[in-house]
Amino acid sequence: MSYKADTSNGTIEKGFTYGLSQSLTIAIGYAPVAITFGILATQFGLTFWEAGLMSLFVYAGASQFIAIEMIHQGATPLMIGVTTLILNIRHFIMSLSVVPYFPERSLPWSLGLAQGLTDETFVLNTKVLKNVEGEENRRRVMLGINLGAYATWVSFTILGGIIGKWLPIQFSGFQFALLALFIILTTSSLSKKNYLTYILAAALAVFLKLLIPGKIYLIISVVVAAGIGAWWRGKKASESVGCDSQKSI
Amino acid sequence: MSIQLLETVLLMTIVTYGSRVLPFLLFKGKNVKGFARDFIELVPIALLAALVVPELITPNGTIVIVNNPFLWAGILTFLFSKFVPNLFLGILFGMSVFWGLDKLLV
Repeated sequence: MSYKADTSNGTIEKGFTYGLSQSLTIAIGYAPVAITFGILATQFGLTFWEAGLMSLFVYAGASQFIAIEMIHQGATPLMIGVTTLILNIRHFIMSLSVVPYFPERSLPWSLGLAQGLTDETFVLNTKVLKNVEGEENRRRVMLGINLGAYATWVSFTILGGIIGKWLPIQFSGFQFALLALFIILTTSSLSKKNYLTYILAAALAVFLKLLIPGKIYLIISVVVAAGIGAWWRGKKASESVGCDSQKSI
Repeated sequence: MSIQLLETVLLMTIVTYGSRVLPFLLFKGKNVKGFARDFIELVPIALLAALVVPELITPNGTIVIVNNPFLWAGILTFLFSKFVPNLFLGILFGMSVFWGLDKLLV
């Protein structure tokens, strides 16, 4: 694979500052979600700096929300780790499709650029990097994009944590906040292509929760439902060759 | 910071950063296809189901339908977010409805 710059798109030298300015669109999206995370994390018993550290180290929105819900439900660190792994393994795919832009990358660049990869920065980087000439410039642009998004996520988490500390704890609605968040995410990601997996996972989870003590039902139901869903897609794809069977999570 | 939380953050960091950095360290780059890709794509929706539905249907360990503020608040939040696709408003709506139902259904 080779990525040639699109020369029709201007010849301005693009670097770190260009990337940083591009990251603004992500920052606008991240800020309210990060504030929400900070508030909820403190409502669920974390301090604002613990919430900030989680954003700094983990830096993966959905899994952070899920982690505080699981901590709240009493899951063990190992269970949360495994759940995070099966959720965030998708970064592996995004990372795989970004590395061809940087064939000459050094170790520090590899270690640094990798941490900034999220669903949102991946989409933006893929769009922007196509039009940047030269690997050196592409690295700087990606660094700018990643750093802008990363800094927003971490700083607004801390801000949310500080706000959350001052909110009244007594409001019983807060125990529903994370569930509401997940339900809203469900509404926006449920589609004709995945609703059977959703129903299967839900039924399995309810059944196994009543059957097995502890939180292991989460992992079993997710792996089994996604496994059957993927197998089914593969089967349908091989039956109707040429038909695009994937997309939309 | 409790040891449990430290362990949690550490494990989450290892698996997440690991997924991000391994291709940078090991590969020239290619696309994952077939079963693995479909599986990874379906994990988030399956996880949403497994996290939410049992909490709504069995809040206290047994199946409750009528006197269950979680279930009704969940259904109403789902319907609300269908029409108002805004994260923040949706959470506010869900929390308020839950709070109201929690008072009513006791």
